[in-house]
Amino acid sequence: METKNERPFIEITDLTHLYSDAENHEVKALDQVTLSVQPGEFVAIIGTNGSGKSTLARHLNALLLPTEGTVKIRDMDTLDESRLWDIRQDVGMVFQNPDNQIVAAIVEEDVAFGPENIGVPPAEIRERVEKALQAVGMTEYRMRAPHLLSGGQKQRVAIAGTLALGSRCIVFDEPTAMLDPQGRQEIVRTVRTLNREKGITVLYITHNMVEAIHANRVVVMKKGKILFQGTPKEVFSRVDELEALGLEAPLAAKVASELRKTGVPLPEGIITNEELAQALA
Amino acid sequence: MSMELEHVSFTYSKGTPYEKEVLHDISLTIEKSDFTAIIGHTGSGKSTLIQNLNGLLHPTAGRALIEGTDLAGKSPEARAARSKVGMVFQYPEHQLFAETVYEDVAFGPRNLGLGEDEVERRVREAMAFVGLDYEALARRSPFNLSGGQMRRVAIAGVVSMQPEYLILDEPSAGLDPGARRDVFREILELYRKRKMGMIMVTHSMEDALQFATRLIVLNDGRVFLDGKPADLFRERRQELIRVGMDIPEIYKLADALRAAGIDIPETITDRAALVKVLRRRKGGK
Repeated sequence: METKNERPFIEITDLTHLYSDAENHEVKALDQVTLSVQPGEFVAIIGTNGSGKSTLARHLNALLLPTEGTVKIRDMDTLDESRLWDIRQDVGMVFQNPDNQIVAAIVEEDVAFGPENIGVPPAEIRERVEKALQAVGMTEYRMRAPHLLSGGQKQRVAIAGTLALGSRCIVFDEPTAMLDPQGRQEIVRTVRTLNREKGITVLYITHNMVEAIHANRVVVMKKGKILFQGTPKEVFSRVDELEALGLEAPLAAKVASELRKTGVPLPEGIITNEELAQALA
Repeated sequence: MSMELEHVSFTYSKGTPYEKEVLHDISLTIEKSDFTAIIGHTGSGKSTLIQNLNGLLHPTAGRALIEGTDLAGKSPEARAARSKVGMVFQYPEHQLFAETVYEDVAFGPRNLGLGEDEVERRVREAMAFVGLDYEALARRSPFNLSGGQMRRVAIAGVVSMQPEYLILDEPSAGLDPGARRDVFREILELYRKRKMGMIMVTHSMEDALQFATRLIVLNDGRVFLDGKPADLFRERRQELIRVGMDIPEIYKLADALRAAGIDIPETITDRAALVKVLRRRKGGK
């Protein structure tokens, strides 16, 4: 990617996050995590439940603050309270449950909620809302009641809300976990389009490895640490390691790995159905 | 042994301007011996259907029966019939509330008015059945467990009521692959060893293929397809996709292989079998 000379959009240095659990034990949810993300990059984060993925996500727009270390968004430190609203405009969040993210009774009002809150003039709000709805393919639903939309449509409204606020980076925390197959496809398609065509920086947390295949980089977390990272090809080729971690490589990678073990000669780095078919044809 | 829906229709807010019929004249017999998966797009009526099956909602028209007894009504028979059906809601760990795992699992049996000895016996048994170590976990706070463990505590809370049928609403949503395997291992144990009838609502085509013996596809409040999962995924994929469903990854991979000129039998439904076929074709051991 031609981003080497740019400043990172996200720069996390030695981030540690401690909290006390319900039994008053101190828990290290994040343990000296260092990670930087370039503008326009699409980074997927995978890891088991409790590996620290969601805690990490919540640091990116200062919903949580570091116990130790720093989190910087375009050079703004999340500990600097005077930059809080700039940071929250820069980094939008989309969570798992679409129903918890809707605030208004009409789609376009919901999308306008963010820019209204930061005092954007009405004419500009209208323009931002229109562009945001267009970017997620929800223009024709703009006068609808959000609660009557499907899960995938609700999530797209949530994405539009972050775009209208001017976010150049969106953090997705398992955005498809509660969606039906069609809704899942809608979100995957929307995220890819925003990243490729609008240059939106994407951090995408998921348990669904197939959804991580389109990322530029996959980061694997365990017990609050980054275990390894690389391109989807590099990461998903480590089939046995992922399995041992309680994760799962995509089906094509697993089949390729099992075939190699029985002596079928196959090149490394097969992770999609088409790649496996081509290698075997 | 079966649950039956006889011409069941269900209308929300009947008699108001918001009235909406979400189930239309559904007739179904669900055998206790089956592991039934119910799929369908958001709003297809899945949740309403399962709530009619456990007596949380009663049909606006038609009847819901379990072993021949109508679930509606206040008679002792109806009440006894309803208690035969346990329900594990979506994200059941969000409904954990007690200070210890023991107290959480004991809540149901205590409500049945059982003595403390029997309550403890049931808690031990239910925890064992979902693979939670009693000695290690009973006195722990449920909120400090992993996502998969919390979900199993929630399932244990329903199992401790000793239902004959268990309805699971999206049991694997939000779980990592390892936790999903653990949860399903225990669900299959309840199905195979305890002979509990299983009814599962899911958005995961993989779960439906891997675990269910019968697949019911709802669309707009009607039964759209009904059959063995492997048969439906193989023969009805166009229809499934048309109603917003999908086919499991193994079928997509098999299709890609066929498109590349590799002959894959139609009967392949799991990875091990596929690897075997490919190995033979490509001269592996």
